[in-house]
Amino acid sequence: MIAEPPAIEKTLIDLASIIETARAVREGRQSALALIEARLARIEALDPSLNCFTEVLADRARREAAAVDAMVRAGRDPGPLAGVPFGVKDNYDVAGRVTTAGSIVNRVLAPATVDAVLLQRLSKAGAVLVGTQNMDEFAYGFTTENAHYGATRNPLDTGRSAGGSSGGSAAAVAAALCDFALGTDTNGSIRVPSSFCGIFGLKPTFGRLPRTGTFPFVHDLDHLGPFARSAADLALVYDTIQGHDAGDLACAERTKCPTVPALAKRFAGRVGILGGWFDDLADDQGRAAVALAGDALGASGTVILPGAARARAAAFLLTSSSGGNLHREALRTRAADFDPATRDRLLAGLLLRADPVLQAQRYRTQFREEALAAFRDYDLLIAPATPCSAPLLGQPTIHVAGKDIPTRANIGLLTQPLSFIGLPIVAAPIPGGPMPIAVQLIAPPWREDVALAAAATLEGAGIARGPEALPC
Amino acid sequence: MTEEDVAQLANMAGLDLDPAHLPGVMRNLEILEGQTALLFQEPLDPLVEPAPVYRP
Repeated sequence: MIAEPPAIEKTLIDLASIIETARAVREGRQSALALIEARLARIEALDPSLNCFTEVLADRARREAAAVDAMVRAGRDPGPLAGVPFGVKDNYDVAGRVTTAGSIVNRVLAPATVDAVLLQRLSKAGAVLVGTQNMDEFAYGFTTENAHYGATRNPLDTGRSAGGSSGGSAAAVAAALCDFALGTDTNGSIRVPSSFCGIFGLKPTFGRLPRTGTFPFVHDLDHLGPFARSAADLALVYDTIQGHDAGDLACAERTKCPTVPALAKRFAGRVGILGGWFDDLADDQGRAAVALAGDALGASGTVILPGAARARAAAFLLTSSSGGNLHREALRTRAADFDPATRDRLLAGLLLRADPVLQAQRYRTQFREEALAAFRDYDLLIAPATPCSAPLLGQPTIHVAGKDIPTRANIGLLTQPLSFIGLPIVAAPIPGGPMPIAVQLIAPPWREDVALAAAATLEGAGIARGPEALPC
Repeated sequence: MTEEDVAQLANMAGLDLDPAHLPGVMRNLEILEGQTALLFQEPLDPLVEPAPVYRP
């Protein structure tokens, strides 16, 4: 009988980086199965109050972890993410289960026959899937208050929203229920929950990561990306999942661009602060976070994108219309099965005339040129990720620019204009109030390495910080 | 926009709207009209092409 290697101290492994955890597993100092059991026990203890998971895949996780341990015992390398527990938003296919996308409408679909492509890549790298995670119905929302699956609670303050639509994934990472997670971002659904839960999130360039095997929302705005508790972990996961796949028509045929090496040096690019729309709609905490980050990165000027308001309007219209079109048949025959908050927006989108939708698509080209012009003078732009820190669950309005405006429709005010044109963005959490808020580190297309390097520099300077102590 | 307008629009789109859903749909259509007005505040050059992804 082979003796189990001694487990490293639990508190260390709870907050260890993915790199440290995988190294301990690969070197036989940490059993992957013991690690998974610890995560499953933590999920069992905390998830009833946080509601991060729609399904915990304990059997699969134990089977995969045991396979990793067997490889180590056999002297084989299980991969760079050996034994690292992770979760996925419930719009990623997991073989053998129905991809709910946060809706009971999807229950009639057949179970997925294979994992989503990004899951396959993570499994090949040794990572272990622990479960699927809660979201706004069909990813249409910013608060993860789901009429079917309940609200996800923010682990930093369980009376507050975790953000959305990838709220279950972000909250699970913040609460150390898993070590990283995959989400999706159509209008801000990675950056908003990163901001509210105080973790790092990456929305790569549109077309960088293949969406093969995920349930769509808005085909020409949907992005996939990771959450993690540090910039280095985020870069490692991102490097693992990069690469073209022909199953996604929008996935660009580009070679992989490893980002981990870029984190070794202090970021020294030209930095601009986004003013105008992005300053006017920020609160004092958001402005202070941007100022701190800008000072630390040597920001030298302010950039105004005059078209930001129209870009947000265009993204709003495209989302509503495309979402309505996507769900047309279910809206026609089973409208009562939708979450009411989602249903009425999708129905309205279905009734929108073609003229503004076409104008939005054309405006996208114009606004892209406006933003690209700014990158002639700057390598990185900074803006707040959200107009405020996490609101209370059920809070009807937020206070923005002197007005009370509806919460759920407006949390994405600062993220929507930027995902509209597909720029790569890291959300980096900046402590500074009772709850954190993130800044968006915005790079030119295909330069995820720039945004990640800036995030690592901010983290190294103590400006950006993931969770330091285990919440709850 | 009146309830009759929305019902007619829904009919043209092949939707049999539940009357209970009408107030929520109307509220959201008003929001979309506001965003449409903002988008059309300035004309676009006719040479600006749309940007959806298409690979023949």
